[in-house]
Amino acid sequence: MNARELILGRVCAALNRDAAADAAARRGVDAHLDARAVGPQPAVTDDLVETFMQCAAALSSTVERVASADEVPARVAAWLQAHGLPAQAVGWTGPAALDWAAAGIALEVRPPRADDLAGITGAFCAIADTGTLMLLSGADTPAAASLLPETHVAVVPRARLVAHMEDAWRLLRAEAGRLPRAVNFVSGPSRTADIEQTVTLGAHGPYRVHVVLVG
Amino acid sequence: MEVASPRFKARAAHKLADPALQKALTRVKIKFVPARAQAAADFGDFEALREAGRAIRDRALADLDLWLERFEREATARGAVVHWARDAAEANAIVLAIARENGVRKAAKSKSMVSEECALNDALEGAGIEVIETDLGEYILQLNHEPPSHIVAPVIHKNKEEIADLFEEKHHRPRQTGIAELCREAREILRPHFLSADMGISGANFVVAETGSTVILTNEGNGRLVTTLPRIHVAITGIEKVVPTLEDLSVLLRLLPRSATGQTITNYVSVNTGTRGEGESDGPQQFHIILLDNGRTRVLHSELREMLACIRCGACMNHCPVYQAVGGHAYGWVYPGPMGAILTPLYVGLENALDLPHAATLCGQCSAVCPVKIPLPDLMRKLREQQVERRLRPAAERRGLKLWAWVARHPRLYALGTRLAVRYLRWLADETGRIRVLGLAPEWTSGRDFPAPEPRTFRERWQAGERPGAQPGARP
Amino acid sequence: MKIGFFVTCLVDLMRPRIGFAAIRLLEAAGCTVEVPMTQTCCGQPGYNSGDRASARALAFKVLEEFEAFDYVVAPSGSCAGMIRVHYPDLFRDEPALLARIQALGARTFELTDFLVNVAKLEGVPGRFDGTVTYHDSCAGLRELGVQDQPRALLARTGAELREMTESTTCCGFGGTFSIKFGDISARLADDKCVNACATGAEAIVGGDLGCLLNIEGRLRRRGDETTRVLHVAEVLAGEDGQPARREP
Repeated sequence: MNARELILGRVCAALNRDAAADAAARRGVDAHLDARAVGPQPAVTDDLVETFMQCAAALSSTVERVASADEVPARVAAWLQAHGLPAQAVGWTGPAALDWAAAGIALEVRPPRADDLAGITGAFCAIADTGTLMLLSGADTPAAASLLPETHVAVVPRARLVAHMEDAWRLLRAEAGRLPRAVNFVSGPSRTADIEQTVTLGAHGPYRVHVVLVG
Repeated sequence: MEVASPRFKARAAHKLADPALQKALTRVKIKFVPARAQAAADFGDFEALREAGRAIRDRALADLDLWLERFEREATARGAVVHWARDAAEANAIVLAIARENGVRKAAKSKSMVSEECALNDALEGAGIEVIETDLGEYILQLNHEPPSHIVAPVIHKNKEEIADLFEEKHHRPRQTGIAELCREAREILRPHFLSADMGISGANFVVAETGSTVILTNEGNGRLVTTLPRIHVAITGIEKVVPTLEDLSVLLRLLPRSATGQTITNYVSVNTGTRGEGESDGPQQFHIILLDNGRTRVLHSELREMLACIRCGACMNHCPVYQAVGGHAYGWVYPGPMGAILTPLYVGLENALDLPHAATLCGQCSAVCPVKIPLPDLMRKLREQQVERRLRPAAERRGLKLWAWVARHPRLYALGTRLAVRYLRWLADETGRIRVLGLAPEWTSGRDFPAPEPRTFRERWQAGERPGAQPGARP
Repeated sequence: MKIGFFVTCLVDLMRPRIGFAAIRLLEAAGCTVEVPMTQTCCGQPGYNSGDRASARALAFKVLEEFEAFDYVVAPSGSCAGMIRVHYPDLFRDEPALLARIQALGARTFELTDFLVNVAKLEGVPGRFDGTVTYHDSCAGLRELGVQDQPRALLARTGAELREMTESTTCCGFGGTFSIKFGDISARLADDKCVNACATGAEAIVGGDLGCLLNIEGRLRRRGDETTRVLHVAEVLAGEDGQPARREP
């Protein structure tokens, strides 16, 4: 008997499975999968933008709002400059459609490298409850762009803001049908508190995460 | 990992006498306890969340076979390879075989307690494969050849000066003393390893049956790096970690960080499904998932099944007065604190961890904060019962208990016994009414006096007709 | 109301005055109190040591001794918790006895819980014109929800309550834990003493004698000869060894 059969056999023995119980259990499992019941959620106010901005700030992201996408490159350029960061970045295809050159930012769309200083990405959506970005990996949306550079800038349309994680899953099922290789929920710059339980920003991922909320 | 649990008492004594450790352990109380309390209060009805979390874990365990089959089917459909391992040796052999087949020379690891259970690093290093722990805490421990002392904060027992010394010695760089500088140094040292590793090894906080995904929660980003950059990703986890749906996962994702560190969410939650897709520039080309039994089916079959609901947040140890006093290393195996007092005997054998189920006052604080409401003191008591049934307790203790119980069932004898005991204890007491050395219970008087009893037992006085309000000593 | 008073083995052996104080309080609340003379121990030492058979035998003995009363009251959250919360586990496979045990458990109370929530005692006989700090014993707190009751009653003695930090953290007694792991136990007791003394209170008050002996033992070993360690019943009944404080 191989390990798989042995382990599953032991599980069945522990659960007292017989044919009748097995059939009922299978129906129960299917029903549970179909129901996708939602558990208790933290209350959020109707003002998702305000909630998102507060929660993201609490986790050390910085957030700014702009009225339209056209404004994004200039505002990001100003933000980079204000933080003494060079105006160059690797980016996803989506945000690359904006006119970054006009704002003086050299944006390259290519696989990210370890020496990239900033990564500019979009987001599948953002979750207000925890101030979280939901990023999906893909051919045009490499996961490394939000991970290798020391600075991560995410451009998120206001319309892509949802209240809770369950809303994000619903949106994903509706729009993509299945999970991409990687769903990364990002809530602020990487951090560690391993040394003396003192929070230090910038562990192995970005030192700073800046979210530009559009609209 | 070597099992040092039989030496709990001696190790605990050593830890109590270590001033640097005692100072370090104060951070458990100062940081984790108030953070969890605040997060629970901020949530609102945290009790309802705990109930929901428990129900989800119970649901998963009730049909564990079906959820695992479903998980395997979905994961396989997405190109992952699901392996089953009966024990640690088999899990290690699977990783080694994958490494050999693919000519792996270097593996970068994110934190995994299951891999500690298996002593996977030793197995890989034994086969000539370089293994780099990349969680900052685990990296520090690897440099110093130490096991973790906490499942969430593995290096909580060390202070920054010790870490600075270690880095200076191992990195051959000028000594840094600031915490931010030490973190930066580790980042600079570790970054090339992420880029050059052939294999990334992670655990999984959860695996999702609905989607065939593995889920890891990290703050540092190392978990993302090891699952994104190397061409092979191996995730190793226990069979009990399965949850049915993404909605169920969402509930547990609310519970775990709040209970562990007081965070509303960890910095990164990574849900990994299958291998690198068409046209993608990152993500592993091979994704292996190892589902480990290593005693879990035995626990499922036992009266301690509830323990499998554990989501490894560490709240039980953070809130345990004994853990707070002696730290994690005293427990002698992978899992310390109340969870370890139960998991260690279950996984390494009751007879190899005799003290652990007794190394708790049963104060109940652990179960009061457990995110999935595991009645940890009750489970410790069940293990104590198993020890008695298997006659694993010392003969003197067994005889003493039997004698006590027998006398307690015979009230006249009991009355005589207590009368004599009172006289004896008063004879032992000094003029200030305290006993400095109690031969029957030397462990009590090694650190405390034993207050002397009053002259006569309640029973003697009541039977003599004394009633409340009467003058002391008055007889009707 | 006819009360079967469960003295507890520790009070019987070590501090009978707590038993008398508790009975005085119950009588002040209008209860008729009886003390079954065959009672010994609730069986908890056996239960927590893994000796189910002994624990069950003693639980059955308690059932027979106390079943006839309207209520069972103990000056201990630990013993009352054993009867109410843990006895059913000992009879889980004996349905007939289980029902009787559960009925007994539902009528079993820790002293202050009973005085406040069942007997609705208004005034208390004792006066205490000083400062106290209250240690919440684990079983009473987490198994029976005893927390506000003793504080509400203490306030009626005139005592000034000064809360210590971590009042709900275990003192390290833990029954046999205190003699199996003496050094850890003493260390936890030491933390408790430090927190309690930091309030400057004249007396550390609690509801479980095991904890109180542990705290007092550590306090004296630390060289503290003045801080008093009292059971809540002693303070409430004015039987804390200073009779002048009792109201006539």
